[in-house]
Amino acid sequence: MAGLISTSSSSKAEASIVDGRLGLLLMPSWVVIGILLVIPVLIMFVYSFLTQDFRGGVIWTFTLEAYDQFFLDRGLFGDEPPQIEWTYIMIFWRSFLQAFFAMTFCLLIGFPTAYFMATSPPQSRAMLLFLVTIPYWVNLLIRTVSMKFLIRDSGPLNEWLMAMGMIDEPIRMINTAFAVQLGLFYSYLPFMVLPIYASIERYNFVLSEAAADLYTGRWTTLFKVVIPSVKPGIIAGCILVFIPSLGAFLAPDLLGGAKNFMIGSLVEEQFKGQAGDWPFGAAVSMILLTIIMVILLIYARNQTNASTRGH
Amino acid sequence: MTEIALNIENIVKIYPHRHHPVTALKNVSFDIRDNEFFTLLGPSGCGKTTLLRIIAGFEGITEGQVRLFGDDISTLAPHQRPVNTVFQQYALFPHLSVADNVAFGLKRLNRPADEVRQRTADMLDLIRMAEYGQRKPHELSGGQQQRVALARALAPAPKVLLLDEPLSALDLKLRQAMREELKAIQKQTGITFVFVTHDQEEALAMSDRIAVMSNGEVQQIGAPREIYNNPTNHFVANFIGEANILDVEAKSVKSTKGRHAAKLTFGNTTWQIDVPPELTDRKNLSVMIRPENLRIEAAKGKMPAAAMVGTIKDMSYLGTDTQIHVEVGNNTDLLARVQNDATASGEISVGEKVRVSFDTTAIKVLED
Repeated sequence: MAGLISTSSSSKAEASIVDGRLGLLLMPSWVVIGILLVIPVLIMFVYSFLTQDFRGGVIWTFTLEAYDQFFLDRGLFGDEPPQIEWTYIMIFWRSFLQAFFAMTFCLLIGFPTAYFMATSPPQSRAMLLFLVTIPYWVNLLIRTVSMKFLIRDSGPLNEWLMAMGMIDEPIRMINTAFAVQLGLFYSYLPFMVLPIYASIERYNFVLSEAAADLYTGRWTTLFKVVIPSVKPGIIAGCILVFIPSLGAFLAPDLLGGAKNFMIGSLVEEQFKGQAGDWPFGAAVSMILLTIIMVILLIYARNQTNASTRGH
Repeated sequence: MTEIALNIENIVKIYPHRHHPVTALKNVSFDIRDNEFFTLLGPSGCGKTTLLRIIAGFEGITEGQVRLFGDDISTLAPHQRPVNTVFQQYALFPHLSVADNVAFGLKRLNRPADEVRQRTADMLDLIRMAEYGQRKPHELSGGQQQRVALARALAPAPKVLLLDEPLSALDLKLRQAMREELKAIQKQTGITFVFVTHDQEEALAMSDRIAVMSNGEVQQIGAPREIYNNPTNHFVANFIGEANILDVEAKSVKSTKGRHAAKLTFGNTTWQIDVPPELTDRKNLSVMIRPENLRIEAAKGKMPAAAMVGTIKDMSYLGTDTQIHVEVGNNTDLLARVQNDATASGEISVGEKVRVSFDTTAIKVLED
């Protein structure tokens, strides 16, 4: 990368003019990112340190109340010695587990799908890509509600299984962790398939031939050559599935019921209607944001180390 | 009698496309000897790469058999065949270091760690890149990557090494240096090399024997000298080097003591040469003569036995020699290459009438 950017000293002045023009071209992007991303996050950051107003909204008095509520349990009237509050930490833990499993299942199903698509004849690839994106023509809410109908006790799936004689009474699927998993998996699978597809399509299949030529069977080739070569696509897919799964609230709300409360629902609840606690919702969001950024930074640092090793 | 490394037996390869099946190889058969530098030479689309990929196991065969030191390997998967390939675009594993690339095949063969380390070091020494072991492929130049690809393929000590146009991506200077290096490594390791190229100069410079291919068929097999001097047909004569091909009438064939002589007439000149016995009853023959075997001289004095008179159409000075086109009638231009002599300054010029003479032994009769 450094080699691409560096220019000889004689053309430095020219390069900086070009840089200036490029900066100008990027202005619209900066404005959009600023208005739609930076400012809202800053507002949430500020709100998380304010006092709750009872009809929703905030009172402009600084307090750490929201963070205190998240981490510490001071009893019903707030006068007992503080203990660690496990409720919200457990919601986080459960959400991370759910997101992790959703990511894993998406990877296990998404990788072979992407591989199949990328190795199909070029004429049929466009059609396959189109098929993968079809679910996005329907709103996520509608798809999730349909899923609910599909798997409920008297839904088509249970009825079909009973008609086939495989089960005698309906399997309880709705309002379970399984249902949440299914919802997350279904919602985010294309986010796994598309980046992996893109990197397998760029993969040089002569490398697989070279591996076969060097006494490597199919499975070893897959793990020793193909997967390391398309790793950036796999990681992009995992991030694109894991992070939205962590903050998802539709699937947990509609399919998981009260027992499978996740971070997304917790935040949503704080801002919905007039009963919510805006500073607390903002604090939960900030904590989640911090954790995700730490994970991504650790990953980015590992990547840099890996690519500079051996120089 | 040297041992045969590879038997290519009656190989037919047809790609079964739905509407128009493509025949890539039509009944190809030949043997490649042990310790030989064998080259498959031909224009693109002649089937040479397909044949190489069949030997490696990447392509199936429609009919025929490939035998490696006597064993039929036709049905084995690529990873089961004790042959290795040097790919045209190197195909080094980008995520592995140079040393790990070279060690890759040995590790898959479950060789002991000591042996893997030793053999990898030996291979890096062989290609004179011992200090590059920890680099990644993208940090190397094209020539270095190609040498690593060679070391990687040689490391498991294959019975036959297949090279698929390995020099075509390199620039001219590097290509010439790599030719000598490849040839030296082949001699040093004693491994049979099967080398695919479309570059006839490369083939002539490196090979022990060459199979010239075209249209899915082998046109001629022989040592470089044999193929250059005695091409059997039009294709080989034209593809290897430059050739003047004349259509002549054959007259009054006489045979004495197994030698068959014919009087060949071209325009108003006639000369007598020996022709192969199977061609003695032909009335029309094609003969070839190389440009460097033609002499151009002023048209004066007594005509030699084999000579024609013509007019110089154009001349190009090429440094070591001059290329001259001479029109000799019958809609025929002859191409001559005359070595330049620093002391002589051009005695002949375009438009001049000259005599083109040659030794009759330089004339070769083509079979078709």
